[in-house]
Amino acid sequence: MLKHNIKLFFRSIKRNVSSFLINIIGLSTGLACAMFIALWVSDELGVDKFHENHDRIYQVAENVEFSDGIQTMVESSAPMAEFLVAQMPEVEYASAVILPGWFGKHTLSVGDNTLKAQGQLVSKDYFNIFSYELIQGDKNKIIADPNAIVISKDLAIKLFGTTNNVVGKSIQYEKDRQFQVSGIFKGAPSNSTVQFDFALSDKAYTDEAPWNSINTDTWNSTGPQVYVLLKEGADIEALNSKVAKIRKERNENDLRTSVLIPFSEHYLHGTYKNGKQVGGRIEYVELFSMIAILILIIACINFMNLSTARASKRLKEIGVKKAVGAKRKTFLFQFLGESVLMSIMSLFVALFMVALLLPRFNTIVGKQLALSFDFNLVVLTLGITIVTGLLAGSYPAIYLSGFNAVAVLKGKLNRSVGELWTRKGLVVVQFALSIILIVSVIVVYNQIQFAQNQNLGYSKDNIVYFKAEGKIKEQLPTFLAELKKLPGIKNASGTTHSMIGHNWSTSLEWEGMDPENEIGFQIVGVDYDFIETMDMQIVAGRGFNRAYGDSVGVIFNETAIKAMGLEDPIGKIVEQRIEIVGVVKDFHFKSLHDKVEPLFMAIMPQINKVMVRIEAGKERDAIEEINGLYQAFNPGFQFEYEFLDDNYKALYASEQRVATLSKYFAGMAILISCLGLFGLAMFTAERRKKEISVRKVLGQTVAEVTVMLSSDFAKLVLVAILIALPIAYLVANNWLSGFAYHIPLKVWYFLAAGATALLVAMLTVGSQAIQAANRNPVDGLREE
Amino acid sequence: MLLQLNNIFKWVNSGGQRIFLLKDISLTVEEGEFISVMGPSGSGKSTLLNVIGMLDGFDEGEYHFLDESVHSIKEKHRANLYKEYIGFVFQSYHLLDELTVKENLEMPLLYKKFKGSERKAMVADMLDRFNIVGKKDLFPAQLSGGQQQLVGIARALISNPKLILADEPTGNLNSAQGEEIMGLFKQLNDEGVTIIQVTHSEKNASHGSRIINLLDGRMI
Repeated sequence: MLKHNIKLFFRSIKRNVSSFLINIIGLSTGLACAMFIALWVSDELGVDKFHENHDRIYQVAENVEFSDGIQTMVESSAPMAEFLVAQMPEVEYASAVILPGWFGKHTLSVGDNTLKAQGQLVSKDYFNIFSYELIQGDKNKIIADPNAIVISKDLAIKLFGTTNNVVGKSIQYEKDRQFQVSGIFKGAPSNSTVQFDFALSDKAYTDEAPWNSINTDTWNSTGPQVYVLLKEGADIEALNSKVAKIRKERNENDLRTSVLIPFSEHYLHGTYKNGKQVGGRIEYVELFSMIAILILIIACINFMNLSTARASKRLKEIGVKKAVGAKRKTFLFQFLGESVLMSIMSLFVALFMVALLLPRFNTIVGKQLALSFDFNLVVLTLGITIVTGLLAGSYPAIYLSGFNAVAVLKGKLNRSVGELWTRKGLVVVQFALSIILIVSVIVVYNQIQFAQNQNLGYSKDNIVYFKAEGKIKEQLPTFLAELKKLPGIKNASGTTHSMIGHNWSTSLEWEGMDPENEIGFQIVGVDYDFIETMDMQIVAGRGFNRAYGDSVGVIFNETAIKAMGLEDPIGKIVEQRIEIVGVVKDFHFKSLHDKVEPLFMAIMPQINKVMVRIEAGKERDAIEEINGLYQAFNPGFQFEYEFLDDNYKALYASEQRVATLSKYFAGMAILISCLGLFGLAMFTAERRKKEISVRKVLGQTVAEVTVMLSSDFAKLVLVAILIALPIAYLVANNWLSGFAYHIPLKVWYFLAAGATALLVAMLTVGSQAIQAANRNPVDGLREE
Repeated sequence: MLLQLNNIFKWVNSGGQRIFLLKDISLTVEEGEFISVMGPSGSGKSTLLNVIGMLDGFDEGEYHFLDESVHSIKEKHRANLYKEYIGFVFQSYHLLDELTVKENLEMPLLYKKFKGSERKAMVADMLDRFNIVGKKDLFPAQLSGGQQQLVGIARALISNPKLILADEPTGNLNSAQGEEIMGLFKQLNDEGVTIIQVTHSEKNASHGSRIINLLDGRMI
């Protein structure tokens, strides 16, 4: 019987190639989307979970009370690490870390072999907390010495050509210091949020800000991250309240509370509101899981609709089989078996598509995903496939097997109203889902455009920046003066902050300060001409000026002045000796997810970045010139530069990825929906052949018949639009509320999505309708 | 006695009116009979055939088939009963387009408990008996109407039914083909198979041993 049914299945495929293709394309596209998403989701869920004790690794975050709510920062103060180990029996190890993203790249050389590598500063038990596998060295000792350097296997091979006998050898650092290799680690896996080539001891820098923030003993400044490994069975709630209490006891007026958050959860749950975790990337994980399910549902609906619509072709088979004694159960098995077989065939096509498109997908999501025969993944894929098959086959199986044999054989089957409604309902669901996806794409795209073109308070275009290192750092004024003389250079200055992302902060006292009003200020150390180079606007007072000897002057942003409650800030004194010389218009120095925070700028000697504004269109020549000057100051160093606007774009990398992905997925959804519609239109035209013939014989024009056939489907899509738009509105609104600065929802977003769906649907159906309307009516009548 | 209908009524309700499809039908069929049911369109011929074939139910009356009371047994039992004893022949053959002649013949056996080798033997036997061995691998669309009906009859016979129900078996055939099919029925009847056929043609009916005339659901 099985053999028979399989034969029947394949022969009917041969007979109905078009509906078979529609089904297989729809199902396999759906499955391929689902597989991509499954790969991505399982990778996301695994990030930072490779650490052996990931469930016991916590990170100290600080909740700071501002007048408009609590802000959570994952930075803490350096003394926290030692304090926790010493005072809290639950804590096994703690380590203060200046992460690679902030510490940046540094020049390392062995002999003539010079390169730049990504480093971080860590305090002593770092390798006891995190499981970066050590190939050589003792994890208790490798960062004890201020001159010790732990390098990755790759770096060892790049520098020394080998990993053998490397421990104990010297590496020249920034051309002026020597570090001894104390250990080699295997390198961070790609699913680690922390990617570094080497680690130095926290004692490596004791005098140079901002890196010395890892050595200060004040609890008031922030900068480093503090990680702890809890002992097994530690009660995190109790620990958190103990820490908070001790902080309060130390300083009644302290506006910060420390709170330990699970480290490996931070990646997916990194958004905080009022001190509570409210989401983060997990939203994307959930969003895409949802999209995967929706696309599969859309694909299944195609299958259901086409199989029930084409049921007439199978009626004879059902009738005859029933007449010779087949029971309903055997049909259930047969039809479910067919749809599962279909989805397994689609799986192979989908696997092929995934293999083909995986590199492209990897570029979009910025990951290195691979099709592996990982047990969980195989089970998941097969599970998805079989469930899809059963889901797709369920309705046709139940529907078809229920036919009455006599009615079927005599062609007396009345198409029930219920059946028609079900099919229409399914089409509406399909299109509603597609429309929601289209609206999402439009909204995400516009928000990203908005973020990229937002007036940031400075001009990010044509700014090149690079590290102030070696002689450049020592002789910065000379270097900058020389730099400004070069052709194609408009202006140049130095800073401690790249205008993007992570920064350090501190609290200040000022004239007339309300002791209750403690504020965390972001610190931007600058050189003269910084405000001019960045095209920032001074709203009161003046910028830094050599003529005034401004090394003890400070400039605040508007938000800071407002938070400090100063009416007439210019000339007021901060920290007993520093004069406020100006107020700068607020500018964004983090992503638009975050509000502008209070900030001050001061002339500081610890400049580590050079910012250069170059003339538009002369980038290549200007960089050539800068490189020449750079090499003159720092022979042997590698000149590595970055464009500010590139890095600004990177701030929205995950949004950009979501936008691109959802664009593709929305495209897939509408494609699959239209495939289904196409099949349905084809079938309808076939079924209504006689009606069309009669209408034409009675004098209806081709155009009228076309409109009549199309309008039925147009109505369905219109209903779908009505259902989808309010839902899309809610979804979009919810997403946008995650941005402190966002676009308003415009009506045209929704109109465009609806119009797109309608247009695509009409094109799909129209072609079939026109074809049907143009047929010779005699053919239609003769066949009856 | 093969089967007996006692005062069978069948009706549908339409627009508040009760329309009778079968009205007070009483009929006894002995084994070995060859009965032709005749009457104008809409007189209930096919309905009667479907009731006898248990594909369709009825609203009143009694139906005894062999020793079973069809009107009081369960659906599942009833399916077993007709599966075992009744073969159907249809006007438009109802062969499955996607199956070859051989596979079409094998199909009814799949729903009974026959082994693969037994099925093969039975199919080969049937092909032989109907002289269609050469056509066993062709699809229905490759056969003429008469040949298709031949396969249809072979399929009805393959599980050795006691009764063949044929609903206008020659309706779609030309006269020569029709004559051939009737000859075949006669021959089967001589071999002991009971046949009830619905027909419009006096000539076809004349092959049978008894004629039942229907008008508006009544026997006349």
